Amino acid sequence: MLQVNAFWLWEFLGHLHPLAVHFPVGLLLFAAILELSTVKNFHSRFRPGINALVIAGSISALISALFGWLLFLYGDYSGNTIDLHQWTGYATAILSLFTLSFLLLIRKNHKPGYVIAYRSLLFLTGIGVAVAGHFGATLTHGDLFPKSSSSSKDGGGIEKPSANFNLEALQADTGKLSVKQVTDLNTEVRAILAHNCYKCHGPEKIKGGLRLDGKHMVLKGGENGPVIVPGNPEKSELFIRINLPADHEDVMPSKGKKLKNNEIEIIKLWIEKGAPWPEDGSKEIIYKVAELMPRNPILPDAPAGLSDGAKSGLSNPVDRWTDQYFIKNKTKWPAVVNDELYLRRIYLDVIGMLPSPEEIEKFSNDARPNKRALWVRQLLNLEDDYALHWLSFWNDALRNDYTGTGYITGGRFNITDWLYKSLKNNKPYNQFVKELISPTAESKGFIEGIKWRGVVNSSQRTEMQAAQNVSQVFLGLNLKCASCHNSFISDWKLEDAYAFANIFADTTLEINRCDKPTGKFVDARMLWKKLGTIDNKATVAVKRKQLAENLIKPENGRLYRTIVNRIWAQMMGRGLIEPVDVMDNEPWNQDLLDWMAYDFVAKKTDLKELIYLIATSNAYQLPSVGYKEPAIISNPKYKFKGMVRRRMSAEQFTDAVSNIISPVFADSNLKYNPFLKAAYNGTPAKPSFVRAALVANNSFLSALGRPNRETVSTGRDSQANLLQALELTNGGRFNAVLKEGAEQWIKKFNDPDLLIKNIYERTLGREPRQNELAIARKSLGKAPTADAVQDLFWAMVLLPEFQIIY
Amino acid sequence: MNWNRRDFLKNTSGAAIAAMAAGIPVTKWLTDSNVRNSKATADTVILLWMAGGMAHTDTFDPKKYTPFSKGMQANSVLSTFKSVPTILDGINFSEGLESIGKIMDKGTLIRSYVAADMGHILHSRHQYHWHTCYQPPQSVAAPHLGSWIAKELGPLNPVIPAFIDIGQRFTLGEGEELKAFHTAGFLGNEYGPFLIPDPSSGLDSVRPPVGMSASRFEKRNQLYQDLISQSPVGEYGSDYQKESLKRSMEQAYILLNSPEAKAFDLSQEPKESYDIYNTGKFGLGCLMAKRLTEQGARFISVTTEYEPFKGWDTHDNGHTRLADMKKQIDGPVAQLIKDLEQSGRLDRTLVILASEFSRDMMVEGRPDLKVQEQVAQPDIIQDIKNYGMHRHFTDGGSMLMFGGGIKKGNVYGKTADERPCKTIEKPIMIDQVHQSIYHALGIAEDTNYLIEKRPFYTTPDGLGKHATGLFV
Repeated sequence: MLQVNAFWLWEFLGHLHPLAVHFPVGLLLFAAILELSTVKNFHSRFRPGINALVIAGSISALISALFGWLLFLYGDYSGNTIDLHQWTGYATAILSLFTLSFLLLIRKNHKPGYVIAYRSLLFLTGIGVAVAGHFGATLTHGDLFPKSSSSSKDGGGIEKPSANFNLEALQADTGKLSVKQVTDLNTEVRAILAHNCYKCHGPEKIKGGLRLDGKHMVLKGGENGPVIVPGNPEKSELFIRINLPADHEDVMPSKGKKLKNNEIEIIKLWIEKGAPWPEDGSKEIIYKVAELMPRNPILPDAPAGLSDGAKSGLSNPVDRWTDQYFIKNKTKWPAVVNDELYLRRIYLDVIGMLPSPEEIEKFSNDARPNKRALWVRQLLNLEDDYALHWLSFWNDALRNDYTGTGYITGGRFNITDWLYKSLKNNKPYNQFVKELISPTAESKGFIEGIKWRGVVNSSQRTEMQAAQNVSQVFLGLNLKCASCHNSFISDWKLEDAYAFANIFADTTLEINRCDKPTGKFVDARMLWKKLGTIDNKATVAVKRKQLAENLIKPENGRLYRTIVNRIWAQMMGRGLIEPVDVMDNEPWNQDLLDWMAYDFVAKKTDLKELIYLIATSNAYQLPSVGYKEPAIISNPKYKFKGMVRRRMSAEQFTDAVSNIISPVFADSNLKYNPFLKAAYNGTPAKPSFVRAALVANNSFLSALGRPNRETVSTGRDSQANLLQALELTNGGRFNAVLKEGAEQWIKKFNDPDLLIKNIYERTLGREPRQNELAIARKSLGKAPTADAVQDLFWAMVLLPEFQIIY
Repeated sequence: MNWNRRDFLKNTSGAAIAAMAAGIPVTKWLTDSNVRNSKATADTVILLWMAGGMAHTDTFDPKKYTPFSKGMQANSVLSTFKSVPTILDGINFSEGLESIGKIMDKGTLIRSYVAADMGHILHSRHQYHWHTCYQPPQSVAAPHLGSWIAKELGPLNPVIPAFIDIGQRFTLGEGEELKAFHTAGFLGNEYGPFLIPDPSSGLDSVRPPVGMSASRFEKRNQLYQDLISQSPVGEYGSDYQKESLKRSMEQAYILLNSPEAKAFDLSQEPKESYDIYNTGKFGLGCLMAKRLTEQGARFISVTTEYEPFKGWDTHDNGHTRLADMKKQIDGPVAQLIKDLEQSGRLDRTLVILASEFSRDMMVEGRPDLKVQEQVAQPDIIQDIKNYGMHRHFTDGGSMLMFGGGIKKGNVYGKTADERPCKTIEKPIMIDQVHQSIYHALGIAEDTNYLIEKRPFYTTPDGLGKHATGLFV
């Protein structure tokens, strides 16, 4: 492995090795076979031919070995396979020499011993040629017999890299690929290249003159010419290299990090399909991008004069769109849910609490035809209860919490007071967003982010956090990839992310690619130029103000679609678009989303009006739908049929227990008290217990799914798990609360039946059925003890019927 | 719709759900594409966590000893304890670690751990890095080492939670920062730590609620089962929320009722053995780790507990306080290894003793990259409170590894004998440490999940390699 400039001829001859080896392989093997077939008769009619083959074969073996040595000397090779190939090759060449020597000896002196020696040597040589040839082939063509490696995951089968990409279907598709298929395939390939190749073949390091981070650069190839032959993977250097064994010197990616089987398959398919790569830039869009501008589709007429009872009263715009959707999907309107169920839903969705039996009774006795709408309105008017419920949703999204990282060194600010009052006063959403982005001292916590002591990765500095979080929360847009390198899941570039982050920066940030400074800078600007400009020279305060003004413009359809989709998802268990943070995805009904977003702006971005609109629609009142697998819910082929069942949040569950049984939290747990005289000027009385949204996170709430708010969180997990069940089964706090409640209840009710009836009505909003009554009676006995009541409480609140919003 | 997950994966197309967002619990999207390598040499991991920064020159890598005397030069002090021989020829430990010294023929002494450069030092930030392999903050919630293992391998015994964390309270200083990495992150709560802040009351976590008799507990569960069977919610069809709730409650019931739960009960331990371990909370944590290992635990972390300026976090009186810390760990650690060996479990149990970084009397950070000092160190020491390793040192540090395929009687790496006592041979970084643990467990090097369409590896970018020199 000489690093000096070699005499060109030696190097040239070295390169002839792969050509030359075919001579000894062919000649010697053929000689061995003929020798074997004539083993009974040494002087057969093939003798002269065999002799010629052995002579030519041995000489060519020597030459091949010599060339091979030259290739090794000048070719920069190393690795186990190389070693094996090299030494079996040399050994074979020497064996062939001995074979030849004995053959020549026999011609002089025909001794049986010489014949045996010659023949043994020839067969050994044949085996040597085959073995050396195999290793050589492995070096050139990759492992012929793929063995399982750590990367082949499910028994050699092809695994699914990204949950969505269907390699098999594409492989099976022999026709011309659709634009979408091309895009998908190319996206996969670019993801593989980005994560495995950019480090050495990107803008930072251009090994071998090859860059793999752009269409033209990939197709152009490197110093040694093209690496891709469209349509022919076997001739594409890139494909050959990624197929080499992990210890091969030429294997790519180097350092022995072999690509996974499925990744190799994807690249193979891509090259077979002609290595399609849609043009970069604005001419053609690679990734699906949602329309930025608002859209006001013409609202269909209400389905009129229908005798179908289920369709009567479909005047709500949501229903008019849904009706069209149902007709298209051949879905019939099921009957809406009964009063009890409806009341339970709106209570939980609007104020986060269960209705009391008294309220249920009052509601069912309400004879007004539009009572459902009237009650929704009434609940929305319970300003504090409404704020206490929605506070948790916004705390998750805005990373606002009473405790958490950052506070310890003054690197984080709480915005609860501002947030609570904003919700309570139903601050218009555009104003709400504006005050978060261009903040006052009270609302600055969101945009200032979390600052850790010490040095942090450049993609996580607070300016970049602001850029990422504003995009994610308000625009349903992922800038996280682009804040480190050009994104390969969207068209957003590193430069776009830095331009956006510079809005939040005192001095222009140096662009860092994968945490390495590039020496480049970019002026602050909007992600969409259409939305306006930013004065790059202005102070951060001014730039934030400009950003806020630009973002809340009615032209920014994306901002309003994002929030409409989030509220819909909160109430319906699934967004019109999923995931709710990826607003470039397809909604199941574009018209409905666009219309609601437009209407939201027309109604002065009033969140309560949006909730009212949804809650009073028949679409909301349909029976809930349960799914066996959460994955089905997030499937893009999802068809709307009604609200998706979900579990109560940690706060809803805790508040229900506090309300029905005994308060889970005491005043001393309050981290924020909205009911202090100074802060509180409302008329309703102070609630009888501390709502879970007002206390610091603890093991109980966190077991039930309250996130730790270190990262933006826009949805809760509905699935139960063992750690949660343990907390509910033997958790000290929970059992103490149940015990406390039981002691109070036995004082109130001396009749077990009355107690059972009450607990059923308060937890499940209904009377116990006969069987249930019998079971409960049996467990309580004639004179219930506090223990027995406690255990009944426990069983009741752990019932799925209690915990699931259905 | 009657799809199973595999169908779902097949049928779903487009960049639609691919670009998933971390804001949403992604458990439901995680594909089980990672499988265990058959060459595993360990089934269980016990991490013995020396919280607060354990000075290598005063523990497992002693240098020249300079006894305390008034008016001594601070810069001349490399070790504040005498060196004592270990069972390995030519390898000495700092005085007070004699018991561990005697079992070093059963494991590997690593003397070359190099912690990351993260600027102005904050313990919890380095601990976050040690336990997750990622530097905070992260835009995606990074899982704890134990959560990765829980996710990839699951529990060894289904009734023992796969990830058990013993000895850390979160109500102390930097508690929130500690919580930030005692989490399964994006893997989902299911793989989070089962917390036992105090081993002496560990049983309370796994038995019926305090004050509830076994028969009552049994009756309560029966009542629950009976009521569920009658509840009309079943009439609304099946859903995963209901099913997972029922299943989890069932699992909890089984755990709390299982004989294995006795492993959490230290009072069942023979007095003789109990007394050896009982050097305080940490020692009892080791005892619980031993008992849990016997019942089939997967990953156990036992900590000396991090509390700012307590334990190993010696900003003053380093010498005096280390004498105490060594008393806490020396007996229990040695006994744990001996017990595991005796029961035949050491072969398949990887025990690691580590700390987030080391300490030095003079250097804060590393010699060529000093950071803001946090401890005033007089050049001339007059008071014993200034005699000790009080600054945070990241350029060298000691670790121990035993069992689970680790070489025996082996010393890996070396630090300089003169200040700065930094790593001079075979530096080992955190991603190598993690990959070595995964290697022992047979978890593939490139194990990852796609989050927001980006692969999130067990070690950043999947680049870490296990340290071959540690293994037999």
